Amino acid sequence: MNHIADKALADKLRGSSCGTSCGDGEGSLQVALDPALQIGGAKVFAVYGKGGIGKSTTSSNLSAAFSKIGKRVLQIGCDPKHDSTFTLTKRLVPTVIDALEAVDFHPEELRLEDFVYSGYGGVQCVEAGGPPAGTGCGGYVVGQTVKLLKEHHLLEDSTW
Amino acid sequence: MQLALWTYEGPPHVGAMRIATSMRNVHYVLHAPQGDTYADLLFTMIERRDARPPVTYTTFQARDLGGDTATLFKTAVADAYARFQPELMLVGASCTAELIQDDPGGLALALALPIPVVPLELPAYQRKENYGASETFYRVVRACVGTREREAGTKPTCNILGPTALGFRHRDDVKEITRLLEDLGVGINVVAPWEASPADIARLPDATFNIVLYPEVALTAATWLQRQYGQPFVNIPPIGVGATRDFITAVAKLAGIDPAAFLARKTSRLVWYSRSIDSTYLTGKRVFIFGDATHAIASARVAAEELGYQVVGLGTYAREFAREVREAAKIYGVEPLITDDYLDVEAAIKAANPALVLGTQMERHIAKRLGIPCTVISAPVHVQDFPARYSPVMGFEGANVLFDALTHPLMMGLEEHLLGMFKEDFEFNAEAAPSHLALATAAPATAETLVWDEAAERELRKIPFFVRGKARRNTERFAADRQLPVIKLETLYEAKAHYSGEAA
Repeated sequence: MNHIADKALADKLRGSSCGTSCGDGEGSLQVALDPALQIGGAKVFAVYGKGGIGKSTTSSNLSAAFSKIGKRVLQIGCDPKHDSTFTLTKRLVPTVIDALEAVDFHPEELRLEDFVYSGYGGVQCVEAGGPPAGTGCGGYVVGQTVKLLKEHHLLEDSTW
Repeated sequence: MQLALWTYEGPPHVGAMRIATSMRNVHYVLHAPQGDTYADLLFTMIERRDARPPVTYTTFQARDLGGDTATLFKTAVADAYARFQPELMLVGASCTAELIQDDPGGLALALALPIPVVPLELPAYQRKENYGASETFYRVVRACVGTREREAGTKPTCNILGPTALGFRHRDDVKEITRLLEDLGVGINVVAPWEASPADIARLPDATFNIVLYPEVALTAATWLQRQYGQPFVNIPPIGVGATRDFITAVAKLAGIDPAAFLARKTSRLVWYSRSIDSTYLTGKRVFIFGDATHAIASARVAAEELGYQVVGLGTYAREFAREVREAAKIYGVEPLITDDYLDVEAAIKAANPALVLGTQMERHIAKRLGIPCTVISAPVHVQDFPARYSPVMGFEGANVLFDALTHPLMMGLEEHLLGMFKEDFEFNAEAAPSHLALATAAPATAETLVWDEAAERELRKIPFFVRGKARRNTERFAADRQLPVIKLETLYEAKAHYSGEAA
């Protein structure tokens, strides 16, 4: 779920009370999430953890299962490897960053079909893409992706 | 991001204001500092509406920022509800107020008003006015429909979606298209947001199909209505004879009507006028087109297919529809110009050297500076584009209007051939600028360091007036490229040979 009951924790996670005391330490690039990025309508499940533990497999199977009980499912891959939706789309789909590059980073020019691909069972698949681990700014990529999905009203209805 | 003196679109909250102002029984509470209230004038001075927009501003000042702006906002919402008693309330922040992050949506919902309250989250630093209008209309539609059962009638009906306050000729387009549809035998269920109330919006699903008159405003809502209620939509702006016929055919198909008899009966004077003798010498005139995507693309089609002009430039400031403009530019073999910087547009117009510019209020200024005739075909527009007379640009009457608007500026120029006959007259001498183009052409821009010698100057004067400016510019460019300090007779001839070779 996207609502964090503990306000202090929520603030900290969103970066508002972060000085130098929190975050990943020196040398890591971190962005505070835009506090306006609240998601209403859709239920959000986050799957994370260290590499090779089955995040993509579990997510794709969950998505497929939800689609079978009539839910409108959107799976967002936030890994720069951009292969979490592979088993649903049967291919590596272009990422949001690829799409943004194609329009010279004018997000207002993007259409849904540029970065949302329909996979198994009608599950809609998005890969954020982004820099390899430890370089660039992954937070920017995820922030842009959520903004785009909101602007295209993809996070509003959880059922068709 | 860069600072601009003039912009084609306002911030997205102006788009939201356009929706609120178009509708009835809607009120918009805008968290905004003093100064943002200027936007009222767009509606009262430019569009000459007889009432202020239904917008309450919180107008916070410096002292409020030290206090509680959230309470100020809540009080403004409560007061606005008590005073105006709207059926639906829009709440949001202007670009400046977005920075203080008061969450107008959450604050207004906390008041638990007995009417739908629609929070608008419009990213002011990423999107602009048309997006704001489109998003607001979509939000209003979502807030109003679905509260009652769909009542599909027996006769095919449609909704007309998209016309708004401050739109280019929307007032008259609505009248023209309504009349056309009724003649065709298609009933109108609701026109929205133009003069619609929230209760009218709730009836949108009753129609058989939708007409997206202005995709900039209505495409998002129409797409959602299609997904939710299976309502198909027609997205062909009926601008020009060809597009109007395509529009009628598409509408008739969805309504289950045979349009053949109607199409045989109805037409525009444009069809004969453009073939008549006094128009044929307009054929091949170079025209540069820039505007919102809908009007730019449609005007290009009218200019090229219906008047026989040559499209030498096509562009838009609306990135949301850049794709369509790029496609259209391919048809005419021109490089599409996608920019919201009017200086880029000015440079492109200069380079294309058109005989006519079709654009917005901004291009009207540019063309005036360059001494080129211009007709406004798209928003943003100024006060003269809300004429007192009936003047649509859609449908067959719209095609009549377009014929006049696209040919008259050129016809005036052609009459200048009379100058030859009255050469020695004090008023009609060869040095006089075309009478309808103010003073711009009287003093053609001369490169500062270039000097024409007497013989060259004399020869230049022998060149017919309508190509003289171009000859002067080309020769000066030629001389500047070769760093010739003085333009002699030979320079003029060499430049002519150079550029005619280039054109071949």
